[in-house]
Amino acid sequence: MEALGNLMMGFGEVLTPFNIAIIFAAGLIGTVVGALPGLGPSAGIALMLPLTFGMNEASGLCLLTGVYMGTMYGGRITAILINAPGDAPAIITALEGYPMMKQGRGAMALGISAVASFIGGLFGLGVLIFLAPIIASYAIFLGPPEYFLLMAVGLATVMLLAGDSMLKAFFVTCLGVLVSSFGSDYVSGQIRFAYVPELIEGIDFVAIIIGLYGLGEVLYNLEKKVKLELGKPRFSVKEFVPGRAELGEAAAPTMRGSVLGTIIGIVPGAGATVATFLDYALEKRLSKRPEKFGTGEISGLAGPEATNNAAVPGSLIPLITLGIPGSGGTAIMLGALIMFGLRPGPLLMQTSGDIVWAMIAGLVLANFFLLLSNVLLIPVFVNLLRTIQNNLANVVIALCVVGAFSLSYSAFNIWIMLIFGVVGYLFKKNDYPTGPFILAVVLAPLAENYFRQSVMLGQGSAAIFVERPISLTILVLMILIVAGSVFGRLRARKLREMRNPEE
Amino acid sequence: MKLTALTRTLGIAGLGIAALAGPLAAQDFPERPLEFVAGYGPGGGHDTMLRTMARLIEEQGLIDVPINVVNKEGGSSAVAMGYLNAREGDPHYLMSITSSHIATPLTSNIGLDYSDFTPIARLGIDPELLVVNAASGYERLEQLMEAEDTLNVGGTATGSIEHIVTMQLAKATDLSLNFIPFQGDGEVVTALLSNQIDFAITNPGPVADYLDSDQFRALAISTEERIDNLPDVPTFTEQGVDITISLFRGLTAAPDIPDEAREALTELVTTLFETEAWQEEYIEPNAVVPLVITGDEFADYLGNTEEVYRETLGELDMLSQ
Repeated sequence: MEALGNLMMGFGEVLTPFNIAIIFAAGLIGTVVGALPGLGPSAGIALMLPLTFGMNEASGLCLLTGVYMGTMYGGRITAILINAPGDAPAIITALEGYPMMKQGRGAMALGISAVASFIGGLFGLGVLIFLAPIIASYAIFLGPPEYFLLMAVGLATVMLLAGDSMLKAFFVTCLGVLVSSFGSDYVSGQIRFAYVPELIEGIDFVAIIIGLYGLGEVLYNLEKKVKLELGKPRFSVKEFVPGRAELGEAAAPTMRGSVLGTIIGIVPGAGATVATFLDYALEKRLSKRPEKFGTGEISGLAGPEATNNAAVPGSLIPLITLGIPGSGGTAIMLGALIMFGLRPGPLLMQTSGDIVWAMIAGLVLANFFLLLSNVLLIPVFVNLLRTIQNNLANVVIALCVVGAFSLSYSAFNIWIMLIFGVVGYLFKKNDYPTGPFILAVVLAPLAENYFRQSVMLGQGSAAIFVERPISLTILVLMILIVAGSVFGRLRARKLREMRNPEE
Repeated sequence: MKLTALTRTLGIAGLGIAALAGPLAAQDFPERPLEFVAGYGPGGGHDTMLRTMARLIEEQGLIDVPINVVNKEGGSSAVAMGYLNAREGDPHYLMSITSSHIATPLTSNIGLDYSDFTPIARLGIDPELLVVNAASGYERLEQLMEAEDTLNVGGTATGSIEHIVTMQLAKATDLSLNFIPFQGDGEVVTALLSNQIDFAITNPGPVADYLDSDQFRALAISTEERIDNLPDVPTFTEQGVDITISLFRGLTAAPDIPDEAREALTELVTTLFETEAWQEEYIEPNAVVPLVITGDEFADYLGNTEEVYRETLGELDMLSQ
């Protein structure tokens, strides 16, 4: 096969001692950057850019993509250990990973998520290697109407993240929509609620999650005097390397997550964060015990982790085949490609195929390194946490402050983080779910913009949603699902009534 | 994530500071390291432009003090403008500017505008192209102008320069145009590739490959004369439509700096702009048209640009006052 031959050629380029060392180091650096709250893939790639000056193209790109991949592994570490997601795609990881941590299964959560990340990444790479050009040529036919419907499906998952009180979930969703509406709106050109210049670009989403999860958790724990269950300082391999039982439980969600993550990663503009929310909703829907979600359910951990790692190669597909960046991280990669003198666009694979294949080979290698280092380092992570456990609150607060500062190198985001820390604390204390809030913050602006673009494309008519075949298909599916679940409930009620006629 | 700002400016990166090592070194400028201020984050267009500049200036030995690049991101460049404004009279700061330097003060009340600063140089422009999908069959602007239906036009953000070109085009012809704002060049290219829009207004960079491979066709360019990179693309003007507005990339310094320092900064950057390294490592990869202007000429240019923005944004009801 041509793709395999190209890949081998890429490996030939990459397998030099210098490049192997670079990829290994990039993975580790990415892991650490990803683990730090506030620093995500965009920051990681940007920080490494100056180091690539003077390297040849292949080494430089391996360094950058290795860091990108590494941040996806790293984001989950702080999410699981201290409930402070290192970056946005790791928010969902915290929902199941942190409860496992509190039950003393933190090391296992790290192990499972590392394996799920690996499989997700590998699957995405497989698709990238063999199917990239074909997929990219179809993906462009998705336009604003399809995206809007996709976002609507995403918003519907509020129901699944709601917890006990639908009313509370509704309230936080509205609050999320309000928070997301700050800043300039590129569709209307108007600027909303920009009381200070820093707000012209809106409230930084990452500052929100650092506050809501990281600081909010600290405040809550201080009050409750929560003590983490860290187990013994010495680990047996069984405690962090998933055994047959765990792998069995994680296998199907991991595969589903891999597929979903790759697909959504490819769609320009959607990105890994949205993908993890959709996957979590999917897993909860398919689970035989959805009531256990939020208490450390392995399927809810493995699926989204596979998703966010599969989204990385996924998002590289439109970048290298069409020159279209689908996420913040790939937008910076686009800049890097230009800096290396490559010309991203449909001709990239023909004009600079050798370099691109070397980069892909580097990614495959990085994924193996990352699995190895992330599993082997689990005892280190957990013991590191143990040594600082008595000062954990201070350390987490310091990380949150530094993380928020690093977003734009200004004190402004520290204030945002503090405000949302208090909000997070109040949410938690009064049992308001954070999931729907975050979901609304992420999806509401996307849904809003895509909806308006759709209607504009239809020149004022909403008929565009039923005129386009893909959009129509999604609509019909949505109606079928809603009808199906309403019908199912009615039937269940009828059955109950038939069994207990006196009630 | 601000894809628009990122992709748009990706590339605006390196201005050079040359020539200060000469007679001026004996005077009191530069007496300490220079600071290049990027109004957007690391990896973005402003940032990479300034870092390329800083690196080339040092490699070419154009100045004997170090150069630091700092990112003062936020507020569509308003944060960086505030930062530079606070350095009044100090010539050791140089900020990269593009259309947001004009547009942001108009759309939000930040108490500053371009005229508060000391314009140094425009290093080049990004022209706007009118691009159609080759499958559409349009080969000349004339044919497009005969369309009777309302046409869908793609570009980035309402009030952007693409939007301004669209409005000017609608005014100059009988066309009924429906501008659809997308988030970033990538989405615009996608929409044109899949025929969701009838044509796009865009910079050459994002569509260069598609033009080379004949998937897209450029029907007009917004420069006064045809450019070397795209000699076959006629200007709007030669087709009877008076549109000459482009995105600029430039540099400005703190308010009220001494005249000698202003001259020194201007000489530094213009010397860099003439080097081969600058052409190879910045101008060519970023498809910038290197029309350099400096000093009062640049200040006048900024003034004219602001007028165009003020008029258009006023029509769109986007002005802050």
